Amino acid sequence: MRYLKPSSVSEAADVLESSRGMILAGGTDAYVYMAEGFCHPETLIDISSIDTLRGIYVATDDREEEVIRIGACTTIAEIAASQDLPTCLRQGARAVGSPQIRNLGTIGGNVCNASPCGDTLAPLLCLDARFVLRASGGTRVIACEDFFTGPKKTVLKPNEFLEFIELPASSCGKASAFRMIGNRKGQAISQANASVSLVMVDGRMSDLRVAVGSVAPVPLRLGKLEEFLTGKRVKEVSLAMFKEPILEGIRPIDDVRSSASYRQEVTVALVFDALAECASKDSGECEGAGA
Amino acid sequence: MIRFKCNGKAVQLEAEPEARVIDVLRDGLGLTGTKEGCGRGECGACTILLDGKPVNSCLLLAGKIADREITTIEGIASEDGALHPIQEAFLDKGAVQCGFCTPGMVLSTKALLDENETPELEEIEEALSGNLCRCTGYGKIVEAVREAGQRLMHESDQQGDA
Ligand SMILES: Cc1cc2nc3c(=O)[nH]c(=O)nc-3n(C[C@H](O)[C@H](O)[C@H](O)COP(=O)(O)OP(=O)(O)OC[C@H]3O[C@@H](n4cnc5c(N)ncnc54)[C@H](O)[C@@H]3O)c2cc1C
Ligand code: FES
Ligand code: FES
Repeated sequence: MRYLKPSSVSEAADVLESSRGMILAGGTDAYVYMAEGFCHPETLIDISSIDTLRGIYVATDDREEEVIRIGACTTIAEIAASQDLPTCLRQGARAVGSPQIRNLGTIGGNVCNASPCGDTLAPLLCLDARFVLRASGGTRVIACEDFFTGPKKTVLKPNEFLEFIELPASSCGKASAFRMIGNRKGQAISQANASVSLVMVDGRMSDLRVAVGSVAPVPLRLGKLEEFLTGKRVKEVSLAMFKEPILEGIRPIDDVRSSASYRQEVTVALVFDALAECASKDSGECEGAGA
Repeated sequence: MIRFKCNGKAVQLEAEPEARVIDVLRDGLGLTGTKEGCGRGECGACTILLDGKPVNSCLLLAGKIADREITTIEGIASEDGALHPIQEAFLDKGAVQCGFCTPGMVLSTKALLDENETPELEEIEEALSGNLCRCTGYGKIVEAVREAGQRLMHESDQQGDA
């Protein structure tokens, strides 16, 4: 096996193009795949020490809009601790594994691994994140909702890697919350998770996004529920009214971790809980990167 | 050839970059205090500090520690063999039974107390959530972490007075 450590993104893109090797970030997922014999890469391209792939800052995107930019190799621990990111993303990061895993694992690894139970995916989806993908020929940008195509499947081509994650600057003005349930408190994989972001206008919910994870092959936006809730006061809605629009949207499976019907029940409660937390704050709470 | 700093000393070692750090430590450097339980990132027995932060050395590839600094359990006591206050507190509070989890527990505790000598119960539980213990039931470990924090605070007070 060859182990390469390129020092810039352009070098990484060139090496990936010529070798079609496997990108390695923190290695917390990749190592386990190799150890279990699920993959046998001939070349490992370790991008974790490329400076420009780390950090959280304000930038201008390809549409000349202001965004919060997160380098793909920013660690999950750094995301969890950042004052410059919306609450739901920090809460999602905090739910990943253990301190040891969060210090090694990266947000780019969580995204590109594309596990349906990845804890940062629903937060990124409900924040309208966009992903900047890099190849030796240049970059392309893709919306989070178009990125995931199935369990462990994404639109990434063999010669591409994730360079940045971008959130609209306005996401810092929104209230947001993430909820998950696992089978124990520390280091548990999500059996279901939910993330909500919204703006309260005169006590009514607006600009609402609801995303859920672990209940379908890819993280899902619940458009029907968003429609149903928009313009309502939180007090007007009850858990019972919620159920239908949620259950119409999700497709949970039975697996080793839990049953489909349990996942359905729990998802409804998690969304309700996250919504209640959002509604209890009237505006966003993060300071905005670099502010 | 991989160069890094281990327990304060510069190390140069012939090792494959795709080897696991736990193997480099145990087989290459003879530092067998770092234990392997699951080998999959679940149990924390293999915890070491990488630039001061706890990580699982069973998931860490050797290429990743080049030019960085690691601390293993062998680097915790002082050179003359005097135990670190965290180690003493673990002994005094009965937080060690079979001892297999202890090196990892001590290192996770070190990372916590380096940041905060008076952690709340929740913060202690969070800091140790990646370290499993099959013997003690955790109660005595939590007590030991509290006690160690007190002792460290006392130590730094005294140093401040001197
Ligand atoms: C014990 C344990 C507990 C865990 N608990 C959780 C949990 O609770 N929640 C959770 O969501 N996850 C969990 N994980 C999974 C994992 O830690 C996270 O998904 C982590 O964020 C992966 O990041 P990484 O940098 O280690 O990825 P890596 O292992 O380096 O990479 C993962 C995959 O993504 C690809 N990749 C990585 N970065 C890029 C990039 N920039 N561009 C293109 N491809 C890339 C790699 O080729 C590989 O296929 C756990 C893992 C372990 C071992
Ligand atoms: S041996 Fe590394 S976490 Fe269990
Ligand atoms: S003392 Fe035996 S595993 Fe913790």
